[in-house]
Amino acid sequence: MGLVSKDRIRAKLKKGNTSVRLLLAHPMHTGRAKNKEGVLIPAEFIQDIRCWRNEEEVLTIKCGTATARNPYFSFQLVGGESNDLIEIRWVDNMGAKGLTETRVK
Amino acid sequence: MSKTDQQRRTILKGAISASTLALVAASGLIVPQRLLAHWPTDAFNSETVEDALLSLVGQAEIASDKALNFKVGSPPSYAVNGASVPVAIESNLENIERIAVLVEKNPFPLAMSFDLTPAAILPFKSMIKIREDSQVIAIIRAEGKLYKTSRFVEVDIGGCG
Repeated sequence: MGLVSKDRIRAKLKKGNTSVRLLLAHPMHTGRAKNKEGVLIPAEFIQDIRCWRNEEEVLTIKCGTATARNPYFSFQLVGGESNDLIEIRWVDNMGAKGLTETRVK
Repeated sequence: MSKTDQQRRTILKGAISASTLALVAASGLIVPQRLLAHWPTDAFNSETVEDALLSLVGQAEIASDKALNFKVGSPPSYAVNGASVPVAIESNLENIERIAVLVEKNPFPLAMSFDLTPAAILPFKSMIKIREDSQVIAIIRAEGKLYKTSRFVEVDIGGCG
């Protein structure tokens, strides 16, 4: 774990709609893989991701173990103006939480 | 009350409490879980596509698959590394309530589900893990109808190890 990983988020206006791209830093262990010593790595994966735009909840994503490592999501929001606040919160199965936010460009 | 009647009662009682316990265990209430209030455990722990769909989107007639544009892999239908396979979902449907992505041959088929509000629209892109060559299914529920489509994806290196 040499690198300090960070969640990344970009939000841009495209043809009047807001396009959001999101990259979360998370190992997403399925609970089925083994480490070098042959011991099972316990499951650790993001379960719930929520997106707010200016205090209004716009999207919920539920993830299973089959979501790729360092999950990437891209989606569009209707309308929007520059400087809107886009806020993402996630929770994993161990109870760890994350918050990341950005302003629409 | 005769003796056999009494016995029958005890057996019934035992059976009921045993099945209740099994139910509670299956629903995950005994397992210590935190903050999982809205996570559909049943759907994500289902081992078949049918079970997962039933508990996630319920039963409804599948209307058509033409309304759904679904891409898996890059180039489409192929993935070198099953640990991160791009998926893209596009549709002209309105009032989409929920979208689910399932991988048929994965140990737990349901990969992810999105709940959309009217403020969120497609296309939607993400990455999933695929264990082996498999059908990947996308389902949209909009206005009480289900729209389903699937793509077969070849995987070189499985991604659920």
